[in-house]
Amino acid sequence: MLVSIRNLTLRLPSGGRMLTVLDDVSLDVLAGEALAVAGPSGSGKSTLLGLVAGLDTPTSGTIVVAGAEVTRLGETALARFRRETLGYVFQSYHLIPTLTAAENVAVPLDLAGVSGAPARARELLAGVGLADRGHHYPAQLSGGEQQRVALARAMALDPPLLLADEPTGNLDSATGGAIVELLFALNRDHGTTLLLVTHDDLLAERADRVVSLRDGRVAGERRRATLVP
Amino acid sequence: MTAAPRLAWRQARGAWRHFVLLAACVALGVAALVAVGSFATTLDRTLAREAKALTGGDLELRAARPLDGDSAAALADLRARGAVIVGVRELVAMARGADGRALLVEAKAPDAGYPLYGRLQLAPAEPLPALLANDGAVVQRETLERLGLRPGDRLALGRATFTVRGIVEREPDRAASLVTLGPRVFIAGDALERTGLVQIGSRVRYRVLVRLPERLAARDTREALARRIADPGIRVASYDEAQPGLRRFFSQLATYLGLVGLASLLVGGIGVASSVATFVRRQAPTIAILKALGADSRTLLATFLWQTLTVGAVASVVGAGLGAALQPVLIRLLAGFVPFALEARVEPLTLARGVLMGVLTTLLCAMWPLLAVRDVRPSLILRRDVDAVPARGRRPWAAALPIAMGLAALALWQAGSLKLGGIFLGAALAALVTLWALARGLVGAARRLPRAPWPAWRHGIGSLRRPGGQSARVVVALGAGVMLLVAVALLHEALDAQIDHERHREAPSFFFVDVQPDQREAFARVLAQAAGDDVTPTLTPIVRARLAAVNGVRVTRDLVRRRVGEDREGAFYYTREYALTWSAAPPPGNVLTRGRWWGPEPGPPRISVEEAMAKQLGVDVGGHLTFDVQGVPVEAEVASLRKVDWQSLGTNFFVVFSPGALDGAPVTFVATARTTAAAEGAVQSAVAAAFPNVTAIPVRDVLERVGAVLGDIAVAIRVMALFTVATGVVVMAGALTATRYQRLYESVVLRTLGATRGVVARAFAVEYACLGAAAGVGGTALACLLAWIVLRFVLDTPWHLEPWALLAGVVASVGLAIAVGFLATWRLLGEKPLPVLRRE
Repeated sequence: MLVSIRNLTLRLPSGGRMLTVLDDVSLDVLAGEALAVAGPSGSGKSTLLGLVAGLDTPTSGTIVVAGAEVTRLGETALARFRRETLGYVFQSYHLIPTLTAAENVAVPLDLAGVSGAPARARELLAGVGLADRGHHYPAQLSGGEQQRVALARAMALDPPLLLADEPTGNLDSATGGAIVELLFALNRDHGTTLLLVTHDDLLAERADRVVSLRDGRVAGERRRATLVP
Repeated sequence: MTAAPRLAWRQARGAWRHFVLLAACVALGVAALVAVGSFATTLDRTLAREAKALTGGDLELRAARPLDGDSAAALADLRARGAVIVGVRELVAMARGADGRALLVEAKAPDAGYPLYGRLQLAPAEPLPALLANDGAVVQRETLERLGLRPGDRLALGRATFTVRGIVEREPDRAASLVTLGPRVFIAGDALERTGLVQIGSRVRYRVLVRLPERLAARDTREALARRIADPGIRVASYDEAQPGLRRFFSQLATYLGLVGLASLLVGGIGVASSVATFVRRQAPTIAILKALGADSRTLLATFLWQTLTVGAVASVVGAGLGAALQPVLIRLLAGFVPFALEARVEPLTLARGVLMGVLTTLLCAMWPLLAVRDVRPSLILRRDVDAVPARGRRPWAAALPIAMGLAALALWQAGSLKLGGIFLGAALAALVTLWALARGLVGAARRLPRAPWPAWRHGIGSLRRPGGQSARVVVALGAGVMLLVAVALLHEALDAQIDHERHREAPSFFFVDVQPDQREAFARVLAQAAGDDVTPTLTPIVRARLAAVNGVRVTRDLVRRRVGEDREGAFYYTREYALTWSAAPPPGNVLTRGRWWGPEPGPPRISVEEAMAKQLGVDVGGHLTFDVQGVPVEAEVASLRKVDWQSLGTNFFVVFSPGALDGAPVTFVATARTTAAAEGAVQSAVAAAFPNVTAIPVRDVLERVGAVLGDIAVAIRVMALFTVATGVVVMAGALTATRYQRLYESVVLRTLGATRGVVARAFAVEYACLGAAAGVGGTALACLLAWIVLRFVLDTPWHLEPWALLAGVVASVGLAIAVGFLATWRLLGEKPLPVLRRE
């Protein structure tokens, strides 16, 4: 088991009162599994993903990822954990606007002190079909291209867990489809565990398991009916 | 950690505006410091290099009486051991031209062999003795100009007449004081007697210049001489300790200029802090992304610190270069009164020190806002609706303390003394707190004020409370500059008023010195003829004497050294030539602080002593002072102590005797008279022609010479203060740039809603004017306080409110704020609304 979430609750102040974003969520993700979290917007799925990455602290509950209790890590340990254990792909890409595509991909490599980061970044970009776009800035790339750069960046250190937050949410279906293929190819070929959040049924259908959230609670779970060989 | 420099380098792109502002703030401050620092080292080096020339020899003996007895014997011994000895006599006297015009000059009669060090630059370039032989005189150009003479013309000095044979362009040892009483006239040593000016009681300065052979060290020889010459009235100095007054003056000038420079660096520090805070706020999303990608706070802090320090270092180097380039300008500004040639030289150490100051200030001022990097939460990328401004709570005071202490240490380092540095820090802190409070008050008032009926005013005033604290930064930075500039103006005004002859209605136009008792009636007659019948001189008797004993203890060199050590000011009270007088009534304007004034009944000799003198000598009412009047001891009991206003421009005395006590002593008179400015020339000529022995000191002329020096100093300080203003302007421009997008958006929304460009421009103007007014009012108020403190406690000069200087300070700062504001934001007015709205 790679990810183990127990009784996770998050309340945030909003407009003068407390808003319950996540309410007693428990969930396990197996190593090598592709798990989709589905649900309408505002159901707390993105927040769940953020908490798994340790981007925020829950009000209560525990998250254990690859044997590390994320909820109890200090800031420096969390940074190391994010670097080594997971990659993150966002709906709005979150590329750094002042860095080129190649430099964006090189950021995790630099942070980890990997030598030969520029060359490795070029390889990674080639892997997502952007071999000739390395010197472009995010503003010069289309949405699909930006998301591919983000994907290359997320996979730069070959993490065991890939978190994807509405990876196709801002893309048209054709472009989104290509991203989806890349994601599942990683899952299939590298054995990267995939935890993705989406309200796109087509994307959810590709996962091994789909957990639906509603109003911050787990509302249901289904497995893919037929296993495609 | 290796990621930090690389990341820093890449991150720096797209933030050039931030870096340019940061760099400008640092560079201006460093330039100011380096310019002043280089000037100080240039002065120091020149003084050290020219020390022997300025002193006139390896050793100098100086006295108000001829050196005879044990000093003559000691000098004869020195000569026997190979020393070269030259005597020089100097005195202030009246020179007269052929047409009767008279001029106060500083006459100098050197023996053959002068100068021992340095070069006397003469035109024609012939040896001085050759030019002075056969009643020749060599004069400064000013002497000729003021008397309407040309080389070859005749010039009278006392009872003797001389032919001007040359002009002295430079005199190596004429630097003892910044202000001279008149231009130089050289005559031969043996010719001085024939002028009849060397008499009992006349004020001749006897100097003996000594060049030592290699094997005799100046310091040791000085010690040996001082031991042999008991008379403390003979000052013995070696070249390396001579000109202490000049050295102290220049080192103080450099210190004050340095503090003004430091002020501009600290204002630059506000700019650094302000621009870094803006930068971090704007970078918050990127910081959040980097944290989500696994960057820890330490790496990010290092990244931004790297960037900031690199920019700070580059800017410091640029600033140091600018400061070095500026040094000749500063030298030229001060060349007017620096009595020797200064050669602009830049010391690597001064540059390094400036760069270090710049980098440290950058580090210290950037640290606090940079710590906010740690507070940026990665969850920011999840919820954009959460306020992007990082929470302030986590920056601990434990971090603020070392930063504040570091800045304080920089100030102390620059000031060079704990006291001065402490005063500077206190003033800086007071200014900061006052201006900050004023800015907060302004923002608070903007919030509480009833809505203005005009839209431009409503929006302009509303903008003052725009989040981000820009208003406070602008007011503090601009206000600090205004404060310095106005304070300098106020101080200059006050000192100028103090030495403005016209404003001192009671002040005499002339001091006539050495009027002999039998000349009194004729003198009054000549004066009335030249200046008008209503002008009568006030004559005060003078007896010249030296202090011989205090409470019965003889004043010797040992006693002086025991009591005051090396403090020359203290020694002055023991060794100076006193001008004594007597009076039945207390001198007008003097205030008795202890004891009582004597009545008309005769009694033993009693004296009234000036307060500070009594304190230095350690005597009180009932104590005794003994004076040596031409060899005759006169002992008197201290009957009272007086407070004297030395700035009153009247005839003031340290010691006043009871009537009768000085009977029989050789007396001369000092006469004072006030004439119209127009009559001054005629009076001087008439008195000089009729009484060659009388010296007429024109007060207006001397005050103008002082005023000229003061003016030069004020200009130099003002130039340095302008750096602070310039830095304040950069800080303001930076602060306005920081709110540029918000401003753009607001103005576009306003225009979409139907506001004209004019309304938006007026709203901007109202905002900038408010900021400028707050900075102006706060700055001038602080300037008044600063000037008052300096005048009251340092210069002991009366304080006058100068409403015009204050008004000018406020108006100028409002104008400046509006100008800078529009320069920084005028482009916004031209932007098309739709693309801006789409961007949002």
